[in-house]
Amino acid sequence: MKQILAYTAMLGRGYVRDGTAMFFSLLLPLMFMLIFGALNFGSFGHVNVGIVDQAGNAESVRFVDGLKQISTMTVTKGELDAERARLEKGDRDMVIVIPRDFRITPASAGAAVPTLTVYENRGQGQQVAVGEAVLTQVVDQLSFAVSRTAPVVNIDRQALSARNVRYVDFLVPGILGMNVMQLAVFSVAFGLVAQKQRGVLRRIMATPLRPTRFFAANVLLRLVLAVVQVLILLAVALLVFKVQLVGSVLAVLALTTLGSILFLTIGFALAGWASSEDQVPPIANLITLPQFFLSGVFFPRDVVPDLIRPLSNVLPLTFLNDSVREVATNGATLWDVRGDVLGMLIWSTLGFILAIRLFRFETA
Amino acid sequence: MSAIVTVRDLRKRYGAIEAIRGISFEVGEGEIFGLLGPNGAGKTTTVEILEGLRRADSGTAVVDGIDVATDPAGVKARIGVQLQQSAFPVHLTAKETVELFAIFYEREVDAMALLRSVGLEERAGQRQEKLSGGQRQRLSIATTLVNDPRVVFLDEPTTGLDPQARRNLWDLVRAIRDRGATVFLTTHYMDEAEVLCDRVAIMDQGLILQMAPPRELIGHLLQRGFTKPVIQQQANLEDVFLDLTGHELRED
Repeated sequence: MKQILAYTAMLGRGYVRDGTAMFFSLLLPLMFMLIFGALNFGSFGHVNVGIVDQAGNAESVRFVDGLKQISTMTVTKGELDAERARLEKGDRDMVIVIPRDFRITPASAGAAVPTLTVYENRGQGQQVAVGEAVLTQVVDQLSFAVSRTAPVVNIDRQALSARNVRYVDFLVPGILGMNVMQLAVFSVAFGLVAQKQRGVLRRIMATPLRPTRFFAANVLLRLVLAVVQVLILLAVALLVFKVQLVGSVLAVLALTTLGSILFLTIGFALAGWASSEDQVPPIANLITLPQFFLSGVFFPRDVVPDLIRPLSNVLPLTFLNDSVREVATNGATLWDVRGDVLGMLIWSTLGFILAIRLFRFETA
Repeated sequence: MSAIVTVRDLRKRYGAIEAIRGISFEVGEGEIFGLLGPNGAGKTTTVEILEGLRRADSGTAVVDGIDVATDPAGVKARIGVQLQQSAFPVHLTAKETVELFAIFYEREVDAMALLRSVGLEERAGQRQEKLSGGQRQRLSIATTLVNDPRVVFLDEPTTGLDPQARRNLWDLVRAIRDRGATVFLTTHYMDEAEVLCDRVAIMDQGLILQMAPPRELIGHLLQRGFTKPVIQQQANLEDVFLDLTGHELRED
């Protein structure tokens, strides 16, 4: 044990002097988080509405003002052709045309009711649906007010102070998971393949150091690094973005440690298989890049097409991200996420078996 | 002189190729022993088996009383090994490299004293990847001495070194022997083998052709009628070189 700790400490000394490694393991993840967090990327917040007021009377102005009060709608007035052009360009989600004969009065039998023409951007389904719902409601309210009838059913809206999950709250667990994966796969694969190529591993194996202790020290180093990384990222998330960590930090650390072990086995398998450093990036990227997109790192997995969804559900990073997210944003306990934990354990076992079969201390 | 390395009828094949075809020899305690042979002769395989890095197919190899096949870790604890491309983990200083190997042997070691014995005490704090070829070779020797070994295996220790560094390394090899260790050397340089080795074995195609002290082998060759145009020279070009540039090590 003492030997393993001493070896780990020496490995650590070498690691912190390695500028490139430190950059990729600490600086880059921080940059990702700061950039994406600040961008507030993928926030569904607004419906872009263009209004063409062809009536220009007091009532149409009131109507437009009414719409402008609604916070989800960003309302801009304009001319028909210009607004339609903007709609086609994608700058508007919908364009409402208020006809010349617009007025707000009770409907009388036989008389024509003014018709609002709504042009919709078919590509923005969500926004359009919300916009239509809002518009319909506004019209209904107007109708009730004017015809002095009451709605049949009363809706009493109680606004709960529901926890507002911002994009950055969603993002942080994803960044944590992504980092754990990158550190484990890349640092192990590059580091060990380079040493294997140069004959360093062979030199080490000429000493009485047992192979299990060699692995133990290398794994321990990366686990310590992963914990440090997670703590730093969490600290920045808490201080800079005021992210709320609902669950326990220890649970997050436990999950990221399990995730590290999982990805370390994959890293060792890759390091064992590759015989030179240039073989590492293609395979490492093949393993990690798809998970960037399919495991809910930057955006939710709902956008993943149904065809690929089964695959996305069982990816290792998915289990890690889902569980950390549940703990961080919903306060889940480790027992609550036991399904994800089981998923990670299964992957770790597979990775371990692969690593044992593939690892070599020298190039053949 | 008792034997510290005993090899009996050693065999090893790689697929269809028989790398070693039944070799036997002994190395006496305190000797500097040389294993010579062209590329592909089986030298590397033989040495790797003795170092516990490879398993023989049949035959026995015993180092310091321990059978390599049954207890490779025991052998590794008693020997020092210097591999050809002396490669160390990067970002560690010379001193830390020595300390790292002390960890592998689970030994307390006075790293500075070891570095001093190979003339590297001034470079103790320097990153090992920044050392010159000769310096790194000396560091490599220092790491082989960490566990106070009984047998030190050196694989082509002066390949790539300039004349001053070569001579310096030869002195180190002699110093290792004087400390009480046995030296097992492989080399492509015949002058090195002639100068350093008490006995040499010449190997080719998996077999040992001849084994004897260098002078004896030369004597046998001359007895077989070998002649060479003899140019009476009291000195050669290397002597000129060293005379002009001196014996001091040139290291940046």
